[in-house]
Amino acid sequence: MKFLLVDQLLSLQAGKSITMAKNVSMAEEYLADHFPQFPVLPGVMMLEAAVQAAAWLVRSTEGFAHSIVVLREARGVRYGTFVSPGKTLVMNVEAVTIGAGASDFKIKGTVDGANAIQARIALAHLNLRDTDAAMAGVDAIVLKAQKERWDMLLSRSAVAVA
Amino acid sequence: MRWIWIDRFEKFELNVAATAVKNVSLAEEHLHDHIPGFPVMPASLMIEGMAQTAGILVGAARQFQEKVILAKIGRATFTRLVRPGEQLVYAARIVNVNETGAAIEGVITVRTTVGGAAQEVPVGSVDMMFSHIDQNMSGMKFPDFNFVFNSQFMELFETYRRELNIQIPG
Amino acid sequence: MPMTQEEVYAKVKEVLTQALAVDAEEVTPEAKLSEDLGAESIDYLDITFQLEKTFGIKIPKDELLPQDLFSKPEFVSNGKMTAAGIAELKSRMAFADLSKFEADPDVNKFRDVFTVDTLVKYVLSKVNG
Repeated sequence: MKFLLVDQLLSLQAGKSITMAKNVSMAEEYLADHFPQFPVLPGVMMLEAAVQAAAWLVRSTEGFAHSIVVLREARGVRYGTFVSPGKTLVMNVEAVTIGAGASDFKIKGTVDGANAIQARIALAHLNLRDTDAAMAGVDAIVLKAQKERWDMLLSRSAVAVA
Repeated sequence: MRWIWIDRFEKFELNVAATAVKNVSLAEEHLHDHIPGFPVMPASLMIEGMAQTAGILVGAARQFQEKVILAKIGRATFTRLVRPGEQLVYAARIVNVNETGAAIEGVITVRTTVGGAAQEVPVGSVDMMFSHIDQNMSGMKFPDFNFVFNSQFMELFETYRRELNIQIPG
Repeated sequence: MPMTQEEVYAKVKEVLTQALAVDAEEVTPEAKLSEDLGAESIDYLDITFQLEKTFGIKIPKDELLPQDLFSKPEFVSNGKMTAAGIAELKSRMAFADLSKFEADPDVNKFRDVFTVDTLVKYVLSKVNG
């Protein structure tokens, strides 16, 4: 079971916005618990999809300058319709600001045009070597894995990256 | 991957507050994708840990008769990265509850070692709201039976209930 | 202790900015909570809880938003509120401007009645008795 909450890149405007899709499938193991006989994508997984999409926008905009890009704050997260297996969550992320060490976004996820999630999220970007020089090697390992993953997303996408 | 993001209740005061803990372990699959090379507990799953702690607290306050679902996260803030081998502590407190829903304030800390000494340090906070969906005419379709507090969950809760001697009236 | 409209508006604005995660500039007296500020059902509950805490008032169920009227068949017909329903609404919501809703009583448009000013007037009626 992989913790990858975005399947496809639909559109990208460096520094501005990104749209990614997440397909929900009965094969996702956690659905058996959420909930038995009524499988729906957990709300926090929708939030994670938004965070992952925003993180890709950060990485591609700043040229993978930081190894660690994580959620620092989420505000006003409201949930609308349930997302069931067989449905696709389309996650749209608009950048409010993207700075060197921090960024802020408005996100909106929809299913068949209906609102599933909306929120404001702030990410933190850092390198482990900033606090511990000995960790520079780990930064490199993390970045390599992220770049490979991004290449894979790009190669399967019809998007021309500006 | 099971969708159980708390391991044990340490405290449970009906209608008031609850504390649950969660061990962070490399046996968990998600840590191998988040982040490859440097495993850290995703913030979204920490929010879920708090949601499960608080959801059970809110559910118990109304004898598990309502379908309690997470409807809003007012604010969730994270100030520390959480690593494998550490233990997360979720402390949830009911701020308000009525027939429509509930508001919860949550504080997340982590039990870890700092310089060889055991310590509990701040990780973040989560303010969230639950909706009793039967009470809300949101136009959504969902089943009649209580899929949230299902038999699987109730068996799990029964263990905590006996250990902590939680009395659910009615 | 009685409060002025300005005092109430300032505090209501703070509550809404926080609850709806919007910028302060977006909160104007005419702004509609749902259409302009993006308020969802759960936000109305959040706002209710916050107004209770901020102003020390109790907001009983259906007092601010008379949801109970919408499930009564004598008040709603074919997705529109009947004349009897509107009359009932007026007596329950003296703090609100129902003129636009009266002109087009489409049940789905009821939320448009709730502007920031509607909330301010409601709170004023509660704190000033």
